[in-house]
Amino acid sequence: MVTGEAEQTEAFRKEVRDWLIANLPEKWGTPEYVAPERFSQEAQDLGISWTKRLYEAGYTGFNVPKEYGGIERPGWQQAILLEELSRRGTPPGPQSLGQLMVIGTLMGWASEEQKKRFIPKILSGEESWCEGFSEPNAGSDLANVQTTAVRDGDEWVVNGQKCWTSMWKFADWSLLVTKTDPNAPRHRNLTYFIFDTTTPGFSRRPLQQMTGESEFGEMFFDDMRVPHENMIGEEGRGWYVAMTTLAAERSGGGGAAAAAMGLSGYGGLIVRTLGGVDSLIELAKKTKRYGKSLWDDVTFRQRIVQIAIENQASRYYGTRLGIAMRKGTASGNEASIAKNSQAEQRKRQGDMVMEIIGAYSQLMRGDPRAIDGGEQVYNMIRSRGATIEMGTSEINRNIIAERILGLPRA
Amino acid sequence: MAIELGLKEEQEMLKTMARDFLANECPKTFVRQMMDDEVGHSPELWKKMADLGWQGLVFPEELGGSAMNFRDLCILSEEMGRAVLPGPFYSTVVLVGLPIQDFGTEEQKQEFLPKIASGEIACTLAALEESGDLWAEDISVKALQRGDEYVINGTKLFVTDARAADYMLVAARTKRTSNPEEGITLFMVNAKEWGIYIQNMNVMDLTRKQYEVRFTNVPVSSKNIIGGLNEGWAVLQQIALKASAVLSAEMVGAGEMVTEMTVDYMKERVQFGVVIGTFQALKHRAADMHVLMEYSRSLMEWAAECVKEDHPDTEMAVAMAKSYCGDAIKFVTDAGVQLHGGIGFTWDHDMHLYFKRGRYNDTTFGDSNYYKELIANRLEANLI
Ligand SMILES: Cc1cc2nc3c(=O)[nH]c(=O)nc-3n(C[C@H](O)[C@H](O)[C@H](O)COP(=O)(O)OP(=O)(O)OC[C@H]3O[C@@H](n4cnc5c(N)ncnc54)[C@H](O)[C@@H]3O)c2cc1C
Repeated sequence: MVTGEAEQTEAFRKEVRDWLIANLPEKWGTPEYVAPERFSQEAQDLGISWTKRLYEAGYTGFNVPKEYGGIERPGWQQAILLEELSRRGTPPGPQSLGQLMVIGTLMGWASEEQKKRFIPKILSGEESWCEGFSEPNAGSDLANVQTTAVRDGDEWVVNGQKCWTSMWKFADWSLLVTKTDPNAPRHRNLTYFIFDTTTPGFSRRPLQQMTGESEFGEMFFDDMRVPHENMIGEEGRGWYVAMTTLAAERSGGGGAAAAAMGLSGYGGLIVRTLGGVDSLIELAKKTKRYGKSLWDDVTFRQRIVQIAIENQASRYYGTRLGIAMRKGTASGNEASIAKNSQAEQRKRQGDMVMEIIGAYSQLMRGDPRAIDGGEQVYNMIRSRGATIEMGTSEINRNIIAERILGLPRA
Repeated sequence: MAIELGLKEEQEMLKTMARDFLANECPKTFVRQMMDDEVGHSPELWKKMADLGWQGLVFPEELGGSAMNFRDLCILSEEMGRAVLPGPFYSTVVLVGLPIQDFGTEEQKQEFLPKIASGEIACTLAALEESGDLWAEDISVKALQRGDEYVINGTKLFVTDARAADYMLVAARTKRTSNPEEGITLFMVNAKEWGIYIQNMNVMDLTRKQYEVRFTNVPVSSKNIIGGLNEGWAVLQQIALKASAVLSAEMVGAGEMVTEMTVDYMKERVQFGVVIGTFQALKHRAADMHVLMEYSRSLMEWAAECVKEDHPDTEMAVAMAKSYCGDAIKFVTDAGVQLHGGIGFTWDHDMHLYFKRGRYNDTTFGDSNYYKELIANRLEANLI
């Protein structure tokens, strides 16, 4: 091993660890810490202040050029940072979604002024974003969106509805895919905008998920006027801009824009589950069922190990993908591989915990006996959304088969 | 982070060169000829490989090698797996050449490595016995001291390429204590000695022959002890580690090839008036094959880099790669047969060559379950 490099990585790791100790909320990670209700104003504020701290410490925007508020630090530092963040667990950043997909989209398609105006405020946590793509009849078949935008002078008049919009509640800005030309062929009839959620004619309301919460919601447009300058990419090219957004969110923040910039695509999603294995083992070791520790049961043990192996495989797949992006040999479709495996693993990991905690897997937040305050059960249920959001597992398999392996389209 | 995944320019060249060479020199007609051959070794091909510097790839230049590294050896092994290369390359270089390089004395290196590099000799490892596992307690072939030589008696099983070998690295018990890992010694034994009796084992994978080897009063000089008297277990563990990384590389090469063959077939085979690649159930199976191989490659490259760098994560990385690749190759070759339908089940189709080699690769030096236990122990130890 090159000792110089090892020392450098260890030094950086220590820097991050010390920073985390100094900056995480008081009592964080201890049983006394009381987390705010998910998706509440309090949780949102915590997320914003956490994002701001990371930004001020120079820990966000690794891939982003300095003129847009980024830090242009090496990918290995990002990898270590993400590892340490996932190891400690951190407050959820409301900007994570914004960072994942909005920056990627803007980097790829926005004007210079738009990049300068929006990216720094995403990084600093000042502005939150959401993604208005799906509609009741346009989910996997995104090209079928029915929300219309009609030009009127310097403005576009938007009518229609979006649904299943994550982070809908506190978003200051949103991405928006609209149909602008009813006569143009599929994929050529869409135009991409961004809009301010304080615009008249816009309204939103919650949709309850199977978790019981309303992480996602619905958005309605009733003659909402969007200035022409808020168009991203050209008129009729919205499909292609949307593809950049999807690739960026699937690869976990790097995506096509990172590929275009030749930077690391080492994504947040890829690392997020790594921290979990140690706690799985600890849990299995201390849990006795029918007279023996679960870790002493070969079947259990090996399934936990399998999760550890798959997490490492994802991690190094992410590294390889980042390299391929830098070299320009990645097509962007590889993001579907990383996304699918992550989502499926998240489910398996969630199920594993349920098996370990047995009868307690039924107890949700609020029950005094719930394990981890019901967090684990929540994660297991929430993981069911992971294989649906950002392109379902089936859609991503189609992409792998058709665009990577070149099999015929249906 | 000295771990470098992906390929550098020279490595791309090595890979392309190996692929082209094997496409010409090791087509499936040749593989099948070797399957039918009792020894399964072509001296002509052996010589050509030596001329390219393959056997001595990782040996130092002064010993006739090319001074390349372990990662390069894995790149070559991927291509060999892809071609289902028969013959004693793996046995000679990985099972014997590497341990001599790692543990041999200066004289031993001088004596054997140039001969391996030049293609003058082929070698193999005789370690397993009745249990079929590499487990210290199970090693009972004895070597008794007689003057300044030792005399070996007993039977080894699953000895790869024994008939092609000029030398066998034999694991024998030289001392018995309460610790079975103590008292094992490795000897470089001339395979042509009187008293060595080799018999075929009727193995599934005919591209990699295995034999029963019986030793009856076989003499070997104490100068031929590799890695110290009674200290052979550490050498065997190191062999298993590196061999597992190489076997993983072979599995990645083979699995990628099987995926390509299957996808190609899906683009040409017509049923119900359309190519079968139109059927989504099959597309998704193909996508799963591809993903498994991408992840296998990721772990394998990590493992190979760790071995190369002698990184503290090496044991974990190799265990994860071997376990994952072992599961993956079984899935991928199974799907490969299935998606080819009846023709995939025929002897004439090449799919079964990969199917069977895959089983060999998974089982050898510990299957995926064995490695999961190893990982479990390490993960548990890391907790505290
Ligand atoms: C937790 C969560 C968060 C979300 N966040 C957002 C968001 O922020 N913004 C946003 O715009 N959307 C969001 N969505 C919506 C999400 O993108 C869609 O639900 C998803 O694309 C699937 O579309 P659908 O719901 O219409 O299902 P459908 O497309 O109707 O799919 C139903 C089933 O059919 C399968 N299927 C469909 N087409 C095919 C095909 N061609 N081949 C094989 N199988 C197929 C699907 O895989 C699925 O199993 C979110 C969804 C979830 C669950």
